[in-house]
Amino acid sequence: MSPSLAPGAVLERVERDVERALRRGRNGLRYAAGTHRPKVGQTPKDVVWQHHKTELWRYRNDDVRHRPPVVIVHSLVSRSYVLDLYPGNSAVAFLLRSGLDVFLLDWGVADAAEAANTLETYADEAIPAAVAAAREAAGTGDLTLLGYCFGGVLSLLACARQVELPVRNLVLMATPVNFHGMQAITNLVREGRLDPDDILDTTGNVPPEVVENAFRLLKPTAEVSQYATLWENLWNDEYMEGYQAMGQWTRDHVPFPGAAFRQTVEQLVRRNALMEGTLELGAKRVDLRAIRCPVLNVVAERDHIVPLPAAEPLPALVGSEEADELRLAAGHVGLVAGRAAAKVTLPGIAGWIIEHSERA
Amino acid sequence: MADKPLWRQVFDAVDRRVAPPVEAGASSDAFGDLFAVSWRVTRRVQRGLERRSRRVLHLLNLPTATDVRRLTEQVAAVQRELREMQDHVPQERDVPERR
Repeated sequence: MSPSLAPGAVLERVERDVERALRRGRNGLRYAAGTHRPKVGQTPKDVVWQHHKTELWRYRNDDVRHRPPVVIVHSLVSRSYVLDLYPGNSAVAFLLRSGLDVFLLDWGVADAAEAANTLETYADEAIPAAVAAAREAAGTGDLTLLGYCFGGVLSLLACARQVELPVRNLVLMATPVNFHGMQAITNLVREGRLDPDDILDTTGNVPPEVVENAFRLLKPTAEVSQYATLWENLWNDEYMEGYQAMGQWTRDHVPFPGAAFRQTVEQLVRRNALMEGTLELGAKRVDLRAIRCPVLNVVAERDHIVPLPAAEPLPALVGSEEADELRLAAGHVGLVAGRAAAKVTLPGIAGWIIEHSERA
Repeated sequence: MADKPLWRQVFDAVDRRVAPPVEAGASSDAFGDLFAVSWRVTRRVQRGLERRSRRVLHLLNLPTATDVRRLTEQVAAVQRELREMQDHVPQERDVPERR
């Protein structure tokens, strides 16, 4: 008789399957009803600076062991709570536990009033003002700037255009610089099939549904796979918590301000201007070689939104003597959320930041 | 792999075969062209419907989508001007708000 057919083992397996079936039913009902959704963005924080819808948050930390503080610049198209998903799955909480003083620049939800915001609005006005506010709040002379996704592009532009900006270290995560390496997501606008203005809605912004569908088109079968994985793990409470939080985030995009979108399409996508060194904002050439501080470029090997060819060339474009790359076997979101982030990505990033910091 | 139930193994095998061509199709030039044409047609139809319904809605003294759009633009313009004025007025820093 094989071990798996022993009466004890069979009974154990039946018990386990019955228990899982009951949990599946319970979790399925909860999921369908939309109850028991995990609360996102729960790490305690204070608003230390605000300008219109933009807010700079400082996360509370009684155990700051390293200076300077870290200011995270989030993307323009998604909600920043992906960086603070829920207790036990929070990039922000990880950085706090590492002894860092963490700030996060949140852009809020753009509406018609933000439709005229250009890349300069963010790179020349908001980021420098937030940097000044963070320095004042933390009482330090400089700081580490950490840009995620399009927030990385904005951070790059801010540092390149304001060379006097007191940024000691620059960390860029999943940041596209070679937009010709983003063939799939830029397919509709790159060669003029659609013009930026075709995509804007009545508020003058790119509607969040368009952003969401563009990401969905990159992996059209992913949603079906996710449902299969959901069914497989429906009994698992811990999995369900993560699935619901992540599912909420992936359906929770924000409008992309129209003027910034036009510049992104015309200059970054069509002319690949960051890569070619031809980007002009406000009639002034952007020279990434003006960036001299240590740079860490964090790239994800399985990133389907910002694939490797889009993010890899960054160290060669900046003027820093120290431009490191941290290459991780993760996806776009896996860099900041999930088990892989907690085990590999975040320790790597926190370690680099601490190496380039001093004891508080 | 051995831990996965049989149905999942079958699903993954099918997904591995189906996903790459579907992804390639979704990022192809042909799909891009088709999508762009359908996007433009949808927009044109919406605008046509708006034009046709405008007269009826105005007869009933009801606002049209165009009216709402114009109002939104005007409110946004006023909001932007107000912000510009606010930016030129020195302000005291707010007391940190607890979250």
